[in-house]
Amino acid sequence: MKHRNSSLGIRWTALALLAAMLAAFTGCKQESSTGTDTPRPGKKLVVGFAQVGAESDWRVAETKSIKDEAAKRGIELKFSDAQGKVENQITAIRSFIAQGVDAIILAPKVETGWEPVLKEAKAAKIPVVLVDRGISVSDDSLFATLIASDFVAEGKMAGEWLAKKTGGKAKIIELEGSPGAAPAIDRKKGFAAGISAFPEMKIIAAQSGDFETGKGKEVTETLLQQFGKEVTAIYAHNDNMALGAIEAIKAAGKKPGQDILVVSIDAVKAAFQAMVAGELNCTVECNPLLGPAAFDAVEQALKGGTLPKKTVVQDRVFEQSGAAAELPNRKY
Amino acid sequence: MRQFFIRKNLPILATAAVLVLLFGTFSLLFPNFLSLRVIANLFTNNAHVGVIAVGMTFVILSGGIDLSVGSVLGFTTIFVATLINHEVPPVVAIGLALVVGSAFGAGMGAVIQVYQLPPFLVTLAGMFLARGLAFVVSAQSLEIKHGFYGAVIDFGIPLTEQVTLRATSGIFVAVFLAALCLAHFSRFGRNVYAIGGNASSALLMGLPVARTRIWIYTLSGFCAALGGIVFTFQTQSGNATNGLGLELDAIAAVVIGGTLLSGGVGYVAGTMMGVLIYGTILTAISFHGQLDSSWQRIAIGGLLLVFIVIQRLLTRAPAFGRSN
Amino acid sequence: MSNAPASIVSRLAQSRLIWPLAGLALLLLFNLVFDRAFFDLSTRDGNLYGPIITVLRLAVKVMLLAMGMTLVIATGGVDLSVGSVMAIVGALVAFLAERAQLGFPGLLAVGLAAALIVGLFNGALVAYIGIQPIVATLIMMVLGRGVALSITGGMPVRIEDAGVLFLGRGFIAGVPVQIILVLVVFLLTALACRKTAIGLFVEAVGDNEVASRLSGVNARGIKLLTYIFCAVCAALAALVSIGDVGRVEPDRLGQMLELDAITAVVVGGTVLTGGRFTLTGSLIGALLIQTLTMTLVRQGMPSDVAPVPKALVILAVCLLQSARLRAQLAALFSKSRRAVS
Repeated sequence: MKHRNSSLGIRWTALALLAAMLAAFTGCKQESSTGTDTPRPGKKLVVGFAQVGAESDWRVAETKSIKDEAAKRGIELKFSDAQGKVENQITAIRSFIAQGVDAIILAPKVETGWEPVLKEAKAAKIPVVLVDRGISVSDDSLFATLIASDFVAEGKMAGEWLAKKTGGKAKIIELEGSPGAAPAIDRKKGFAAGISAFPEMKIIAAQSGDFETGKGKEVTETLLQQFGKEVTAIYAHNDNMALGAIEAIKAAGKKPGQDILVVSIDAVKAAFQAMVAGELNCTVECNPLLGPAAFDAVEQALKGGTLPKKTVVQDRVFEQSGAAAELPNRKY
Repeated sequence: MRQFFIRKNLPILATAAVLVLLFGTFSLLFPNFLSLRVIANLFTNNAHVGVIAVGMTFVILSGGIDLSVGSVLGFTTIFVATLINHEVPPVVAIGLALVVGSAFGAGMGAVIQVYQLPPFLVTLAGMFLARGLAFVVSAQSLEIKHGFYGAVIDFGIPLTEQVTLRATSGIFVAVFLAALCLAHFSRFGRNVYAIGGNASSALLMGLPVARTRIWIYTLSGFCAALGGIVFTFQTQSGNATNGLGLELDAIAAVVIGGTLLSGGVGYVAGTMMGVLIYGTILTAISFHGQLDSSWQRIAIGGLLLVFIVIQRLLTRAPAFGRSN
Repeated sequence: MSNAPASIVSRLAQSRLIWPLAGLALLLLFNLVFDRAFFDLSTRDGNLYGPIITVLRLAVKVMLLAMGMTLVIATGGVDLSVGSVMAIVGALVAFLAERAQLGFPGLLAVGLAAALIVGLFNGALVAYIGIQPIVATLIMMVLGRGVALSITGGMPVRIEDAGVLFLGRGFIAGVPVQIILVLVVFLLTALACRKTAIGLFVEAVGDNEVASRLSGVNARGIKLLTYIFCAVCAALAALVSIGDVGRVEPDRLGQMLELDAITAVVVGGTVLTGGRFTLTGSLIGALLIQTLTMTLVRQGMPSDVAPVPKALVILAVCLLQSARLRAQLAALFSKSRRAVS
């Protein structure tokens, strides 16, 4: 008898728990959507943003830029974080289509694989704006426009800067991004092109730092122990790995920025701080603040206007000399 | 009789009940959630995970584990894409990929069985091997440009004017049904459950343990390759980085569906529900749309927790009460 | 006469540690032949310096995680959330160090408290509600990563606290602090396990939970304890890691390390089904993984195909442990010896 009562009690507890959790979930929604309750003239735009993840400060800055811009323009943003998986991004796009959003902004994780799902978006008459990375599809009309940096150009600028600084002579350790990642592949290609005219510039080792500080430090430590005095420069595919490399150089008893030059890409705030401290020599910008441009494109596309297929964001090269002046401008 | 049916299938019924409950709650919260389109999407989006998870179910039922499935999927996608771009007919490429995947699984199964090695380590090695080989094939993303693929992707059975049932969902459902038959109506299935329950007893009973084990991993490899094929239909491309971390998603679907990691207990139908519940939670979160990156993860974890706790409390029925 | 050496060899062969040690020895042998500089040892400012020291230092994270994981696995469970626990503790410590100006003792207390809470949560789910360990800790893994992200809003934070930096980069008597830390933790844990009944209880619970409970062992309590210990080890690993790197990236800290930890434990000789465990084996396993990683980097193996040799080494280490293979090889040897004579 006691047994049956207790199991019944457990079941009621279970239902109560479920109700509580779901109430919390709904509560979250209601808190943030009070803004939409105020009546506005005309329908409020709903835009879905399928983001890759939150794997770096650069990525977080990109997300913030899009969110801030949506709030500024009074657009309701549906945000989805794919935790780094392509299939989750595809799921998000399908769910946006099912919700009947007005437009979709996509930051594609990989170059290929979007054709089928973009066809569905086109069939539902939802324009898609791509940010930060290009894709390759057979039918250009599947996306409205692309706003991105050119990763290959970034790598090339880094290579050319290093060649100029070292007079065409250097033994370089390359810290690569995650294996198979599009920016890693392109920045490697670009850098190689940038130093190709200088036979005395050699990459003596290239290993993956996975785009993160910790791995960047680990790999640099190992390689510095192996190559010792030979190394004159380090090229990192992103600032986070460069910051790790700087710590590794210090741990090896050398001076980063002087004994060993450090070049990287992204131009985040921490990189500027490192340049001001004289530890980082150069960083090539990769602007993540694509919010304004993305929503300009969205509004244009919805009005039925024509858009250039590709807008390449101009990246700048920043050196130590201009770092202190530029630092206050860096928002991310 | 009905009481007996309920008690025997309590775990699966409880899981199904909570799934329906959650789905119903989300339907009340979000407009357009309860629609054929969303349900069809659930199957289409998770077809690749579903196929892999079905294969994984057999492995886990037998008390083993297969960490290589994500990498085999990735390898399959880039393998098929490369072959097709080299003028190999798609049907041949697909067939070859399935053979390679099955052989890979058979190899791992053989090593595990013959040398009595821990499945975790052998399939971990398999995971690294397949991933590395995928990069050997190509580190770049490759598009598949072939009419056959276009045709398969466009193929669909229109359910309403807005919703069509795609080929990928069809493959998922077909694999699921086949696995159901295999698990519950075949000698192989019974052997799998027996090995998972107690391998030495199974051996003493005269069951073909060695052969079954190797077949289990072959099946898992086949399903992983098939999942890769399905993924190529989803994306019309191949990439060596596909499937990173997918093994954990598949294992999660299997164990959330009620299968015990220690083996011998579980249902293929449970796996289907595990896949659907994860898909439902992800869909609900994107319908909500207001959560930032950190809260999305907290919500996924939280909702899974709710699901699991309720499932557990519901199955903690008087029938099982004695062991507690 | 010929029996004496055979008996020593057979006794050695019966110790489970011989196989992970053999694997490690093979790797070191490879380096001895192809990369003599691997063994270069020197001192810099009175501190030990060299690839071997780096391997030991970098292996500490996984060693700490593996020790916690060993006890959990010994009870028949698994803890997939250790990476996320590292992220939570790391983000929390960095955030508080910067915003609340908390000193090292305060930071340590907060970090350990956070780990305690997570461990309690995991343990309660597994031991008292009866959820499968893999499911409970998988949920925590996802949830925990979200919590870590929310602490800093996803942005990386610098570590400036002297105490934490000392943990990660300091030296005591020329030896890196982390190495001393891991030795201390190992000694304390080993003493607790072997000199008190705790180890016995853990093994009993893992071997046959029902029997252990009927014998009077508080199985639930023991399980809870192991999950708490595992989380605390993860907290220590986090402190070491962030002190070493000097920067916390909340989405990346600890990512995938649970896999390394479980691998170290299994390579070391503890079985995933639970029961008898060996802490030493897990340490050797962690060392083996790190040595392999460093060897591949030093050999210039491109990162995208590096998993292939990694797979082959793991397979080789596995096969070494296989009694069947050894029997086959022994048969092969005795046949050839008979053929010669």
